[in-house]
Amino acid sequence: MKNVVATNEFNQVVEGNSLGKDAWRRLRKNKMAVIGMIVVIIYSILAATAPLLPIYPYDQIILDHQHLRPSLTRTSGEIMMENRLKDLYFKAWRSGELVVTEAESAQIRKWIAANDTNKVWNFVFKEGEAQREAGIFTFNAADQRVITRLQDKIDTEFLIDVTQITFSEEKGDKRQDLSKMSYEQISRIYADLSNTDIEAVKAQTLTEVSSQLMNTLKSATPGLTAEEYAVNLELELQTIGESGVAKLGKTNLLGKISTTITRQADRDLKQEIREGLAVFPVERIIDVNDQLQAKVTATKKHERMYYLGTDYSGRDMLSRIIYGSQVSIAIGLVGTLTSVLIGIVLGAIAGYVGGKVDYILMRIVDIMYGLPYMLLVIIFMAIFGRNILNLFGALALVSWLTIARMVRGQVMSLKNSEYVEAARSMGGSTARIILKHMIPNSLSVIIVYSTLRVPAFIMQESFLSFLGLGVQAPFASWGSLVGDAVDGMTLYPWRLIFPAIAMTLFLFAMNFFGDGLRDAFDPQSKNEL
Amino acid sequence: MKQPILQVRDLKQHFPVTSGMILQRQVGSIRAVDGISFDVYEGETLGIVGESGCGKSTAVRSISQLYKPTGGSVIFNGIELTTADPRTMLAARRDIQMIFQDPYASLNPRMTVRSIIAEPLVIYNRRNLLDPPLSKLEIEHRVEELMERVGLSKVFKNRYPHEFSGGQRQRIGIARALALNPKIILADEPVSALDVSIQSQILNLLSDLQKEFNLTYIFIAHDLAVIQHISTRVAVMYLGKIVEISEAVNLYDNPLHPYTTALLSAAPIPDPVVERNRQRIILTGDVPSPDKERFGCYFYDRCPKRMPWCSNHIPPMFKRGKNHEVACWLYDETRDYHDVSMEEAKADAAKASK
Ligand SMILES: Nc1ncnc2c1ncn2[C@@H]1O[C@H](COP(=O)(O)OP(=O)(O)OP(=O)(O)O)[C@@H](O)[C@H]1O
Ligand SMILES: [Mg+2]
Repeated sequence: MKNVVATNEFNQVVEGNSLGKDAWRRLRKNKMAVIGMIVVIIYSILAATAPLLPIYPYDQIILDHQHLRPSLTRTSGEIMMENRLKDLYFKAWRSGELVVTEAESAQIRKWIAANDTNKVWNFVFKEGEAQREAGIFTFNAADQRVITRLQDKIDTEFLIDVTQITFSEEKGDKRQDLSKMSYEQISRIYADLSNTDIEAVKAQTLTEVSSQLMNTLKSATPGLTAEEYAVNLELELQTIGESGVAKLGKTNLLGKISTTITRQADRDLKQEIREGLAVFPVERIIDVNDQLQAKVTATKKHERMYYLGTDYSGRDMLSRIIYGSQVSIAIGLVGTLTSVLIGIVLGAIAGYVGGKVDYILMRIVDIMYGLPYMLLVIIFMAIFGRNILNLFGALALVSWLTIARMVRGQVMSLKNSEYVEAARSMGGSTARIILKHMIPNSLSVIIVYSTLRVPAFIMQESFLSFLGLGVQAPFASWGSLVGDAVDGMTLYPWRLIFPAIAMTLFLFAMNFFGDGLRDAFDPQSKNEL
Repeated sequence: MKQPILQVRDLKQHFPVTSGMILQRQVGSIRAVDGISFDVYEGETLGIVGESGCGKSTAVRSISQLYKPTGGSVIFNGIELTTADPRTMLAARRDIQMIFQDPYASLNPRMTVRSIIAEPLVIYNRRNLLDPPLSKLEIEHRVEELMERVGLSKVFKNRYPHEFSGGQRQRIGIARALALNPKIILADEPVSALDVSIQSQILNLLSDLQKEFNLTYIFIAHDLAVIQHISTRVAVMYLGKIVEISEAVNLYDNPLHPYTTALLSAAPIPDPVVERNRQRIILTGDVPSPDKERFGCYFYDRCPKRMPWCSNHIPPMFKRGKNHEVACWLYDETRDYHDVSMEEAKADAAKASK
């Protein structure tokens, strides 16, 4: 057969198009929607690739770095020093060593009364620095010592990270990655390293694994007697079996080996610093003993930069926000998707089949509407345990109601429309009628509702996290970050502002994108091509 | 004599009226179509006229099995549609297509013209009811061919229904109905939503298509002029019943049933002299509601020529000459009912019901 293509009167090839293709073309014309889509995509990419990004670990606690304010140019050490100085200047003002005018003192007292701590600190810091510069003010000996000690600490402290441990039987043999070796081998290596025999190591590991399991058991089902726990533990050990124990044990042993290496490297580096030999950042391979080698990196602890500040445990806000967006976006999208799917299916069935089915489904919806929504979620979480999957489940389970009702209404009104009748008179199957006629014509409502659902889900998750039922530390979500930031809001506003901005921006983008989608799927929309 | 292509026998379509929430009791029924019978012959156009709400749309929907008829039979090409299994019915219904009244509501606003016209082809193709099966490209060409045939440029293939005028939309509807090469087309007021000038274009298109493809039409309209223009025969419906059926020429020259006479006298005539002098028969009252069972003539309440007899005897179809039937006791050649009193009629009805 000769290859004919469809052409129009001007002999141009007419491309086939579909609602989807047209929708895409219309969407591209809508600037706000495109911007929204790009923002949503960027967020999604950031969230998905978070482990690959050059950011600090989101769960690394550095207590020295508690509540550091965000800065693009200054290292954590400098900010630590500044914080300490603020504190010292304030004390000096209190004790009268830092002299300011009477009016200024009154102002400071007013600030203190109004809890404007930041203003007080900023003022005394500026004043103190200026006076010290001018030589009017000097710290007393005790304070000076504090400052020197802190400076010393900032200059010398470092963080060691063991990135890889390798092993070879004899010098010159092929080196093996320790994390890929078996529990048996690792036990022997650890025994050699710590000068004990392998049996002792294994016994020790077993005890540790048991107590670990016991702790999990106790937190999962609290309130049992000691015997019951013992029985449960026995059962648990049987279920995970030899291989399970070996796996847990291996993780423990690797941890221990890496701690040993860290300690050794720490000792060496401190020595080097004392001798003035160390140049940071350090990246080197060290020989632990004849067989073990480790790749170690060390960075100056207080040279870290926190562009968005840190939280109450000294964790990097930037990386917590990025990791938090993982959880929040996933909850928003997955929750919406599942609830919309459930809602569409049940709503379409109720509307299309009608009669008793409709009656029963709608009464179920009514009853569930009547129940307090959050209470259901909370009960669900309490019964099935607090993890992110259950959170998805609980939210999806109670949020399909509205969409089911909307779809039902749409389907019922479309069922009697002439074009559906026409399709039926042509022998269109029920599935085809629902998929080709009813759903595309209800799409605008569904899309708008879904895009409104995403923020609602994110909000609900925040609310649950705030109540302590959502994501558990060290995991983060925008909601839990905001929730955590609420206390200390005036002192450390960055902890609240940045997650809030991240969240708002995403929700805005989502709304514009959703609006655009709705218009795109409606050929009659005013957003002309 | 020719064999009819479609036979409708005592077709009934009652819609249940229910009340109650869980246990839905049927408390009555709307007798939208209450026992109609007629034959349709190949190549002709059967017009159906009647007031609004008399059951014309319901009748064609029952014939095309969009509604499951309550009773009676519809025989198409020798196949009984009301009891046929789904696949036989689908295969048979390929030859029965519909054109709808509202060109705005009958086209899915989210589908392009191409997918609307191709839809019947795609459905039958997918169900393996087309012989031979069509490829995508063949469907494409068929769509273009149909568009050109009904007077639409194929350039508009990718457009959506809202970008067309009412007349153009109705052409799309016609192209869709033609896609499967049907034998009979049921047209439910296909021009009533259109402007007069466009009405005639569409009517001409329909008659051209009829000649070209040897189509048979069942054509519903309010407008008697439209019916006269296009029909071979005309059936007049009142309250779910056919009251008169005849050759079109015959009906207009010589209406028999009082209802037909009234209907024709109400139609305006485009001649001022005639229009000024003509006698109008004004019917009193509205069309009664079709929700109760009737034992007398359905037109009794409003009939200017009613007799006591009519109140409790349902008239059968009386043959008056070739191809002219009328359901009115005035035309019973065996008896004159004018002097039957109400009491006698009641007694007779009571006897008959025993
Ligand atoms: N699905 C339905 N359920 C209940 N009653 C119906 C249904 N469809 C039609 N009816 C009733 O049946 C009667 C006939 O309706 P139908 O639509 O057939 O009238 P029609 O002759 O086509 O009127 P029109 O000329 O206005 O289109 C009306 O009284 C209507 O209320
Ligand atoms: Mg109608």
